[in-house]
Amino acid sequence: MDNKLKTRPIVAREAGLMPRGVERTSFTNFLFWILPWTALLCFGVYAIYLCLADGLWHTNMDNRFAFGLWIFLDLTVIALGAGAFFTGFLLYILRRKELKAVINSAVVIGLICYSGAVSILMVDVGQPLRAWFTFWHPNTHSMLTEVTFCLTCYLTVLIIEYIPIVLKNRQLRQIPKFLVFEFELHKLMPVLAGIGTFLSFFHQGSLGGLFGVLRGRPFAFREELGIWPSTFFLFVLSAAAAGPSFVMLTTWLVQKISKKQLVKPEVMQFLGKVSGILLIFYIMLKSVDTLIWINSTSPSEGFPAFEFYARKSFGTWILLTEIIAFGLVPALMLLNKKLRARPVFLYGAGLLVCCGIMLNRFVMTIQTLALPTLPFDEFMSYIPSWEEAAAFLAVIAYGVVLYSFTFRYATLFPQERELQQIQRG
Amino acid sequence: MFPFVYEFHWTPGHIIFLGVFFSVFGMIIVTLINAMLRSRKDFRFKKAGAILWKTDFEDLPKFARACRHEFTGEAEHRVCDNGFNCGTCEAHQTFLAQQKAEINSDISQSDIFGFTMPPDRMYHRGHTWVKKMEHGAGSDTDDGTYIVGIDDFGNRLIGKPERVSLSEIGSRIEANTAGFIFEKAGAHLRILSPISGEVIEHGGNDKEWYLKVKADDSTNGMAHLLRGAEIRPWITREMERLQMSLATSKIGFTLADGGELLPDMNRHYPNVDWDAVWGEMFLEA
Repeated sequence: MDNKLKTRPIVAREAGLMPRGVERTSFTNFLFWILPWTALLCFGVYAIYLCLADGLWHTNMDNRFAFGLWIFLDLTVIALGAGAFFTGFLLYILRRKELKAVINSAVVIGLICYSGAVSILMVDVGQPLRAWFTFWHPNTHSMLTEVTFCLTCYLTVLIIEYIPIVLKNRQLRQIPKFLVFEFELHKLMPVLAGIGTFLSFFHQGSLGGLFGVLRGRPFAFREELGIWPSTFFLFVLSAAAAGPSFVMLTTWLVQKISKKQLVKPEVMQFLGKVSGILLIFYIMLKSVDTLIWINSTSPSEGFPAFEFYARKSFGTWILLTEIIAFGLVPALMLLNKKLRARPVFLYGAGLLVCCGIMLNRFVMTIQTLALPTLPFDEFMSYIPSWEEAAAFLAVIAYGVVLYSFTFRYATLFPQERELQQIQRG
Repeated sequence: MFPFVYEFHWTPGHIIFLGVFFSVFGMIIVTLINAMLRSRKDFRFKKAGAILWKTDFEDLPKFARACRHEFTGEAEHRVCDNGFNCGTCEAHQTFLAQQKAEINSDISQSDIFGFTMPPDRMYHRGHTWVKKMEHGAGSDTDDGTYIVGIDDFGNRLIGKPERVSLSEIGSRIEANTAGFIFEKAGAHLRILSPISGEVIEHGGNDKEWYLKVKADDSTNGMAHLLRGAEIRPWITREMERLQMSLATSKIGFTLADGGELLPDMNRHYPNVDWDAVWGEMFLEA
């Protein structure tokens, strides 16, 4: 039997690793798809090496822009990766079984987002070998400490959640120990989903909270609600709203690239509906928060709010775009059943939601730091260096490579086989 | 982080924050250890086969999991969530109690759409059959010995396997776990055992059966097997399933109504992804 296996062509052996009954592109095509991304990944790793070996002078960050492209994109991917915890919460805690169709994909997206963000953070701190200091000597009054602890724990949870997806590979599940472990681990998913929800609530919130407590940056500073500033809750809600939209968009993208239907339209529409409901709440609270900030918080700090929007590059258009074009408009599109049923509106709205979260995180990091706060201070701009850009492109390339391999060799969309049969029939 | 670490303070902030962190971290570790211990226990009690069937069953398309009472028209669009384990299904008992006389009537016809499906045996949904051993004319011995084979539908679909691995003599097999493994055209296909029991003899290609099994229980352990008037509508459904499986973009043919399945089909249609078709029809994910 072994001899027979050895003499089988490599293509046949490779096909034996794929899920049964689903079509995948040829191994050669797959290599052609993977190679450019791998090259980009290598290029980014080289840029990371430069930053770690030579120092952070390779970046254009300085004392003013201590947060640059990396933190802005880290916040964005962490918010977009919230689809993993929120889909898990809806499936395992609220028992919305239709989401079983996308949970594996949501977990992989979450893992990519969080592992990518943590990797970039390790470069950003400049001394990754001393990263353990934050755990060993935690400053319990710091929002960043909460973020570090929750992020690390949640990444551990995501890795554990990813294990059953890998072990369910057709060849790996032939090994009884792997099969049994995958089965038992899968049974405990509700516990992990609960832990993930708890951790995500705190780290998404603390990421927002760390801007809200910046009294020296009145553009970002917000009044406290309980022990946290309002940005804590706005970050949690916005991430929960954007996560399902991102899961929906990535699924649509994978469907387009693979030219197959992977998920039933009802599932996509449900994700859109969830995103729409959360987004409308977020927009309402964001609007109230902005009004309080304009009329009370900012003036009480000695800054008329509209002074912050007097700069050419960051005028009031940015606020209106965030709240109306990337907030209210997609929320109304997603809440309307007829519009939601039309793919152009569903995915268009999803794209607007994701753009909205990106703009919000950009405003909170870059705009906050660009604006002057002292009389002798001036508006400053910041352009990231190629090393910064390349390092983050590496995260995107890593994400594409990991997702592509998982899609090819594991079952990311359990409905795929059935949907292919229906299409053929 | 710990009381012995420099800068640790016995303040509410430290205690609450680190308390919550250690609790969460502890829960993650305990969950992982729990999964490992449970797997060790499953492994020790040889539950891997049953787990494989359970996970395979969950991954089967709904059409493949249709309830047997849907075939006979007793139920409309009923999907099984119980691993075809009718013995523990409450609805099955209710259906049996309400069953019309003709469903239980003795069906003597063995030719169904060109397949030879003798009514003297019971059929598993994974295309195996089980038949009580006959101990010669006049013998009234019932020692619980059964023979297990693959049905005509399965035989024609897979043809002559290149290699067959049978469960060892003296070993126990469980219903819905691998009774034997077929290898053909690079595919490894596990064929589900229809009953639980001890393997006492091997058959093979020269005989009509593959295993002789001393069954655990001759009545309760067979509740999930199809019999009598259920066989024809089941085969009709299997033909539909096969048609769906075969309808790939490459094949360009469909089975015509009323046609008979050719023996050793994969030889006639080499472009078909037979690994997928066999997996589908023999209920393997």
